[in-house]
Amino acid sequence: MHEMSVMWLRIAAVLYSLGLLHVLLTLIHRRRDRVFRVAIVAFYTGVVIHAVSIVEQTAAAGRIPANDFFQSASLCGLLCALLFLFLYWRYGYESLAVFVFPLVFVLALVGELGSPVASWADTRLRSAWLVVHVVLVLIGYAALLLTAVTSILYLVRERQLKTKKSGGTLPPLGTLDTMMSRALSIGFVFITLAVIAGSTWASIESGTRWIRDPRIIISLATWALYLVIVFLRVTAGWRGRKAAFMVLGLVGCSAITWAAHTGLKSLLSR
Amino acid sequence: MRFLITGVNHKTAPVEVREKLAFDPHALAPALSGLMSCHGVSEGVILSTCNRVEIAVTAQNGDEPAVDSFLSESRRVPLGEIAPHLYHLADQEAIHHLFRVAASLDSMVIGEPQILGQIKSAYAAAKAHGAVGGFLDAILTRAFSVAKRVRTETGIGENAVSVSYAAVELAREIFGTLAGKSVMIVGAGKMSELAAQHLHRSGVTNIFVANRTYERAREMAGLFQGAIVEYEQLLAALPQMDIVITSSGAPHYILKKADVRRIIEARRNRPIFLIDIAVPRNIEPAVNEIDNVFLYDIDDLQRVVAANIGERKKRADQAEEIVAAEVERMMARLKAREVVPTIVGLQEQLEQMRLAEVARLRGKLGALTPQQEEAIESLTRGLVAKIAHGPISELRRQAGRPEGLAIVEAIRKVFRLES
Repeated sequence: MHEMSVMWLRIAAVLYSLGLLHVLLTLIHRRRDRVFRVAIVAFYTGVVIHAVSIVEQTAAAGRIPANDFFQSASLCGLLCALLFLFLYWRYGYESLAVFVFPLVFVLALVGELGSPVASWADTRLRSAWLVVHVVLVLIGYAALLLTAVTSILYLVRERQLKTKKSGGTLPPLGTLDTMMSRALSIGFVFITLAVIAGSTWASIESGTRWIRDPRIIISLATWALYLVIVFLRVTAGWRGRKAAFMVLGLVGCSAITWAAHTGLKSLLSR
Repeated sequence: MRFLITGVNHKTAPVEVREKLAFDPHALAPALSGLMSCHGVSEGVILSTCNRVEIAVTAQNGDEPAVDSFLSESRRVPLGEIAPHLYHLADQEAIHHLFRVAASLDSMVIGEPQILGQIKSAYAAAKAHGAVGGFLDAILTRAFSVAKRVRTETGIGENAVSVSYAAVELAREIFGTLAGKSVMIVGAGKMSELAAQHLHRSGVTNIFVANRTYERAREMAGLFQGAIVEYEQLLAALPQMDIVITSSGAPHYILKKADVRRIIEARRNRPIFLIDIAVPRNIEPAVNEIDNVFLYDIDDLQRVVAANIGERKKRADQAEEIVAAEVERMMARLKAREVVPTIVGLQEQLEQMRLAEVARLRGKLGALTPQQEEAIESLTRGLVAKIAHGPISELRRQAGRPEGLAIVEAIRKVFRLES
């Protein structure tokens, strides 16, 4: 990849990260406006720089840069960003940002990882980075597990109320729903940070080969599912029974990811 | 001391009799004076509620206070008219009755919480009047803690036993807190008014009323500082509502499944609680199949209430056991209280004998060294303590036993304590 275009892409990714920050803050804090204004300006700038990067690549290669996974990811990210900006400009779909900001950031990050930086300067940094990744994942999983438990309780409680057999000792339905939503948001924040840390680590560790690892693909797919669920919940008002079932599906996928990462894979395929 | 209760309640007397005997709060003070001047009454308290009139007094052993005639005279009702409805309870039975009443086991609606407060204010009034001494105080304060124990250990008052209150409980089970929720009342009947009242008290702030006749809607909205919604605008207003109570006399469904589907969509799936207490029903039953919609009709609510009443009966059995055990403990404590004067008297008697004997001895011996003084002192003290030990522990053991009184009397006689 062209030297300059990689640098532009990195700058764009940094600008997109403000958008991601906005989403994460929204999920935890539920305060939107001021951070959103900063984030959207950064996003505009990011798109311009991202486009510059793609144009430079095109000029250097003489064709559209979609040769490998990394280049396609970057291109795809730009297209998503442009689509979002169009919808935002035309219809004011601000709520789409919850979905688009993290997605575009991760796509730009992946695209940028196609040109790995130099290998580890120090093995201690390497293991510390890995520890950070694992801790983030564990916190995220703990939150996800809590979400799953609340979801099951929610489903039981909902059934009780629907079939008119009340008088249990479970918390009220509204409380369970709030807990579910909170735990889901917090889990998403940590899993997203973990995905970023993990991808960066893998990229430095093994250059560009890591992206073909099925474990990585499973993790990224799980994260994408997580993103979809959070998006549907925050913007489309998917709550209650449907949301509870989706979360349980997500927990299943996460369990597979976990298994793939902790060596259970070799055990299962034997 | 004896403890006696005389009274009527909703089981023994119809309301025509109870209303004649009831003391209104202003009449309580003179009535307490009258009671205290009654022959044989040492302490007294008057409990008067809409379901019961009870007079509890304490008296010296052997006295027979004339509470019946006091009641007849002070309420100006011929004794013959009330006598068939009166019950008289004494000592253990009276304490048992008091504990049951305080724990709301004798109430019309078992487990209702008001009665304890009513007994407490009766106690406060009697105390302010100087009609409560140590003995009655001990029994009444014990009754309060028994009531509290029953309430916390059995949870007897927990579940709603009226339709309108059951609706509020269900709303709490769905939403958690009701603060800031909105409720729409369609059709301004008595039952929906009651439910709205409960909701209002539980923190629901936004109350809307829609009724075919405007006058009644305004009247009801006035009760809760509510707003009026035009009957024709009802459907448009419903997406903003968290709770909807319908009790209109419409002969057909006013809310159909398709309507509610639109409403829940407009609410972005925030849950909605529909309470249909109208007969014929106002809301299509199939509405309950929609996600995040909870529909309860009058039968559902009545089933909840019936289940709760059944649950209360079960807990009442448990409560009766607690009360019985507490009565036993109270009786033992009262008996122990009765032997206290004897024990104190015995100790004083022996101490006086000891002091007299020591004084006599010193007169004979003349001056003594401090060591000798001390030896005599500890010798006599030890002797007296040894002698007293047997009878005192026997007194403590006999307290609370049926045959104990005779033994207590015997000990008093042996030691020449004044009878």
